[in-house]
Amino acid sequence: MDIAEGFRNHKEKIVNKWVEYALSTYISSGFFVKERDQFANPVGGNIREALNRLFPLLVGGADSREFIAPLEQIMSIRSVQEFSPSQAVAPLNAIKHITREVFASDKERKHLVQELYDFEFAVDLAMLAAFDIYMQFRERLYQVRIAEIRSGSHILTDSRCPSKLLPEDNKRL
Amino acid sequence: MAVPKLQQLSKSVVQGPSLATGAIPTRDWMDIPVVFKSGNYAYPAKKDKVEYLNKQSGLHFPNAREWSPEDEDWKLPEGWQEIILKGLKERLEKFRSLKIFMDCCVRCGACADKCHFFLGTGDPKNMPVLRAELLRSVYRNDFTLAGKILGKMAGAREMTVAVLKEWFMYSYQCTECRRCSVFCPYGIDTAEVTMMIRELLHLVGIGINWILEPASNSNRTGNHMGLQPHTFKDNVEFLVDDVENLTGVKPNISFNRKGAEILFITPSADVFAEPGLYTAMGYMILFEAIGLDYTWSTYASEGGNFGLFTNNETMKKLNAKMYAEAKRLGVKYIIGGECGHMWRVVHQYMDTMNGPADFLEIPKSPITGTVFDNAASTKMVHISEFTADLIKNSKIKLDKSRNSHVKATFHDSCNTSRAMGLLDEPRYILDHVVDWVEMPENTIREQTFCCGSGTGLNTDEIMELRMRAGLPRANAVKYVHEKHGVNMLSCVCAIDRATLTSLMNYWNPEVGVCGLSELVANAIVQEGETRGELDEGLRTML
Ligand code: SF4
Ligand code: SF4
Ligand code: SF4
Repeated sequence: MDIAEGFRNHKEKIVNKWVEYALSTYISSGFFVKERDQFANPVGGNIREALNRLFPLLVGGADSREFIAPLEQIMSIRSVQEFSPSQAVAPLNAIKHITREVFASDKERKHLVQELYDFEFAVDLAMLAAFDIYMQFRERLYQVRIAEIRSGSHILTDSRCPSKLLPEDNKRL
Repeated sequence: MAVPKLQQLSKSVVQGPSLATGAIPTRDWMDIPVVFKSGNYAYPAKKDKVEYLNKQSGLHFPNAREWSPEDEDWKLPEGWQEIILKGLKERLEKFRSLKIFMDCCVRCGACADKCHFFLGTGDPKNMPVLRAELLRSVYRNDFTLAGKILGKMAGAREMTVAVLKEWFMYSYQCTECRRCSVFCPYGIDTAEVTMMIRELLHLVGIGINWILEPASNSNRTGNHMGLQPHTFKDNVEFLVDDVENLTGVKPNISFNRKGAEILFITPSADVFAEPGLYTAMGYMILFEAIGLDYTWSTYASEGGNFGLFTNNETMKKLNAKMYAEAKRLGVKYIIGGECGHMWRVVHQYMDTMNGPADFLEIPKSPITGTVFDNAASTKMVHISEFTADLIKNSKIKLDKSRNSHVKATFHDSCNTSRAMGLLDEPRYILDHVVDWVEMPENTIREQTFCCGSGTGLNTDEIMELRMRAGLPRANAVKYVHEKHGVNMLSCVCAIDRATLTSLMNYWNPEVGVCGLSELVANAIVQEGETRGELDEGLRTML
């Protein structure tokens, strides 16, 4: 039996464990795991969907640029939650350990553990990309903050007279 | 999961630098202290703003001082526990609803997963039931027999500094949106519990600047921005010029005109900040098209009422100003613009605070003759009700193709949808002016998800918090953006127009935000217009 078949047979189990692990990083993870309506449960829904998309890419030797979309789906969320950067990306790495464990506990597929090198390398690439994506979203967050300040709604506080912002000639009207 | 390496990974992750969100809690929620750090709390109110408010008649904002939530010592006044407990006692007597909310929760959990703050953070204290429990535990301790005898076993606890800090953290992670109450079999309104917690905190000088400064500005000059009458007037006139340039028709406007039939009041943000400006231009175009006899006021120059987010006295005072101005000008009634919480105050609280407004007439549209009986007591009609009635009676000419650059969806502001039941009028209007689609069913109408930044939480220092709280809303927008190519999120709330703009900039940068009246005005065909091709409607740069 080759590794591809091993992945095929265990895909559901591995991905489910992965999703559960990723969601266990939230204090009240029960609901995030259980509720399947993606609109009632956006964190659980998006993470589940993204990991399901990502897994076949990691397994199938896809170009690492293809990882970006599912990684963005996850990292856009984890970048604005109260995680440190390492905490934000750590669940991605978990797939390595989960896969080894699942294969190791299956007698017929034990030997496949030796062949995980390519897969694990793909996970490493995804991890590295996730750090960049994390930073992109933090950057976007700061941009949003700056845009809001520029938009004028900051005048709500520390109010200077807003007529200052009107063009000079308009003021004379 | 028995994976040794994985366990180690979890451990190092959980014990890493930020402990705020660990894994599964090992301690009871009551024992987990709150940690304030940059990004998770809004800045405290400035000393001079609190002092100013405290000096106003009928208002009470004691203990003005410099302080920071990150400091150990919050510089609370002497005997602060007694102040809080006495305040709670008074409120339990004054507001029967509060007493009921404290007593009747059966902890069924129906509300637990309905709050966008919980959904975005996974923090159990953001479950509405636990948010209310923050106050209820103290109530039990001091006001119920079981609590007095059994203490913690009965879910009771003493009022300590740690509890106070928790109150501050979680009453400012609630936008008082009332989504939870829709699902509660007893109708417990956690929004009102939050309001009470915030009131109690003000008694010992704990409040945030983003709320108290606009509230004090409103008290001083009539609007959040602190715009003085001449500036407010200039800003509106500036928009008149824009409208004339775009459409060739100059709207007739007036300020503080005695004897006008109608007083028009809208959030000041509409005449000042993008994208609200286009909504304000929309009102003018609509009123001009039907020849309405109305006036703006430079005193009642704000629909918003940040008093709602502080205490009932401030809310009452700011609401009274609109009616005092209506009386002074001798208008028949008021039309209110696209605002969220102004309507909450008018619809839910105004009657027992300042109403009924007997000196005004029951609103009757001068154009269609329709009588708005629903506003018989408050004498204030929502612009969407007014507009929908005009459309229904074919009193305005609309050309939908003028909005062909827009594929819209509609965000029900929690205030207008849940607190006043304005659900169908905006949809009726949309049907006539633009191509649009609904977001998924469990995210609209009564079940709408809040923008995540309401109740004065729309300040930039808590942007991360706002983004995670707004995720459920943004997630539904993303869906219609990807599935139907939606590029515009329309709404009828000025705070939304600002907060959803930031929310979209983060989650769905290709989706813009607009007020409903902007879409109406884009589509209006006016007599005498010399409008060129406006590819982006009122937003077109000439
Ligand atoms: S009112 Fe809204 S924000 Fe507050 S607890 Fe309920 S659902 Fe959450
Ligand atoms: S739904 Fe109502 S009764 Fe049930 S836990 Fe929530 S507040 Fe309590
Ligand atoms: S800003 Fe709008 S959506 Fe947000 S709390 Fe207020 S009314 Fe609700």
